[in-house]
Amino acid sequence: MPGRGRCPDCGSTELVEDSHYSQSQLVCSDCGCVVTEGVLTTTFSDEGNLREVTYSRSTGENEQISRSQQRGLRRVRDLCRVLQLPPTFEDTAVAYYQQAYRHSGIRAARLQKKEVLVGCCVLITCRQHNWPLTMGAICTLLYADLDVFSSIYMQIVKLLGLDVPSLCLAELVKTYCSSFKLFQASPSVPAKYVEDKEKMLSRTLQLVELANETWLVTGRHPLPVITAATFLAWQSLQPADRLSCSLARFCKLANVDLPYPASSRLQELLAVLLRMAEQLAWLRVLRLDKRSVVKHIGDLLQHRHSLVRLAFRDGTAEVETRGKEPPRICPAPPVSTVTGDENISDSEIEQYLRTPQEVRDFQRAQAARQAATSVPNPP
Amino acid sequence: MDADSDVALDILITNVVCVFRTRCHLNLRKIALEGANVIYKRDVGKVLMKLRKPRITATIWSSGKIICTGATSLLCSSKLGFQVIFTDFKVVNVLAVCNMPFEIRLPEFTKNNRPHASYEPELHPAVCYRIKSLRATLQIFSTGSITVTGPNVKAVATAVEQIYPFVFESRKEIL
Repeated sequence: MPGRGRCPDCGSTELVEDSHYSQSQLVCSDCGCVVTEGVLTTTFSDEGNLREVTYSRSTGENEQISRSQQRGLRRVRDLCRVLQLPPTFEDTAVAYYQQAYRHSGIRAARLQKKEVLVGCCVLITCRQHNWPLTMGAICTLLYADLDVFSSIYMQIVKLLGLDVPSLCLAELVKTYCSSFKLFQASPSVPAKYVEDKEKMLSRTLQLVELANETWLVTGRHPLPVITAATFLAWQSLQPADRLSCSLARFCKLANVDLPYPASSRLQELLAVLLRMAEQLAWLRVLRLDKRSVVKHIGDLLQHRHSLVRLAFRDGTAEVETRGKEPPRICPAPPVSTVTGDENISDSEIEQYLRTPQEVRDFQRAQAARQAATSVPNPP
Repeated sequence: MDADSDVALDILITNVVCVFRTRCHLNLRKIALEGANVIYKRDVGKVLMKLRKPRITATIWSSGKIICTGATSLLCSSKLGFQVIFTDFKVVNVLAVCNMPFEIRLPEFTKNNRPHASYEPELHPAVCYRIKSLRATLQIFSTGSITVTGPNVKAVATAVEQIYPFVFESRKEIL
């Protein structure tokens, strides 16, 4: 730059202010000689103008693993070890935890949330490898509330943009059934209640598949269905001795918690089996009820595919009037097909007719809506 | 039923949430003492007024902001009047219920609509489907009942129209 002085080497006036990294220097553009250098340290007055950068705004947070994150990572590893997961799962879960920790919302969250986050990472890892781990199991291990767990789980799935596959039912059946303590005789389990593991597993799997096909599993918690199926499978393998045992007693013997909806699932499953039994001629004459159908579960499961199709044709079953003395012609009750010509009972019709007040309100609402749609909504 | 044909589905509005401001500060204590159906929540600083005629719950703050929930139509929610001018009437949320005449296979539906649909049977029996462009959320149950929440009635209706073909694909076949 002219007017700044001359280069001591070549004497040119073309001096350029350039900086070497953060240090400003005056350099001759002809010969490259460094004329003056900035001072490496700042003066006291300069330092007075400096502003502190808070730790949260600096990059230090991401470079160092904080103590809280270290604790979290240790808990992830411990949880994986407690659950006896394969070693690859540990690394994946740790990676998810670290990834989550980079988001400021998680970093500044309460400790309770971070504890639950540990469980969420492990759950996501297990789901992605089709390892059957239920949320209930994790919540018990972490002493966490299912509501808290669910909110954080939803948040983290959205935050990390993950595609978590759903729980694998077959694997869950295998793991859950194996936890029933019925495969060896013990002081609490008499010999007639002991069962072979393989036979029970295969029958339970078939029953669960049946439940899945007949809409007992959709939208419901999977575990109570499996409990009911296991109970039925166990009973049907030796019905003579085991019909007297109730579901609650069965779970107590097997040292497994009885989930509350399991009894309703059991009733639903028995109803399905009864409908299937209606399709088999030799069972129809026996006029089975909910207890006696258990003896024939083996046969029913063997032919279950065709029986389900027959029994649930048109979404209904043939009414159980066959086998009764004069065979009446009963129309199958329509369930899914609504023709609009059905008779409406008097009590029901009240719900469909509008009162004069409602008619007036409706007309006013319609008019108001017309007016509202003509005016654009404020954003 | 052809997926292309027009299907008339009844969408029933069950809840409307709206917000409006009164231009003045409201004396909560006075309202609480003189009002007939009020609950004064001093810890959060608001008054809850529950009316029976249009079945509405109004939450009133001292700044003059009022949130109204429980109305079954847009008109009802604006009936709540004080003797003051109120401004900025805005419908915040509309909740509607709709019934499909068929049952829906939820696991299949989730698989086909991966990023938008979320299904956790251990937590909630329905699939939660979010439409970002309309800012609407639909909860789809296996019985065919669908609950839609959205910012206004038009968004809700559009959301139902949009979801119908996807839901139709995963319906339970009547053999």
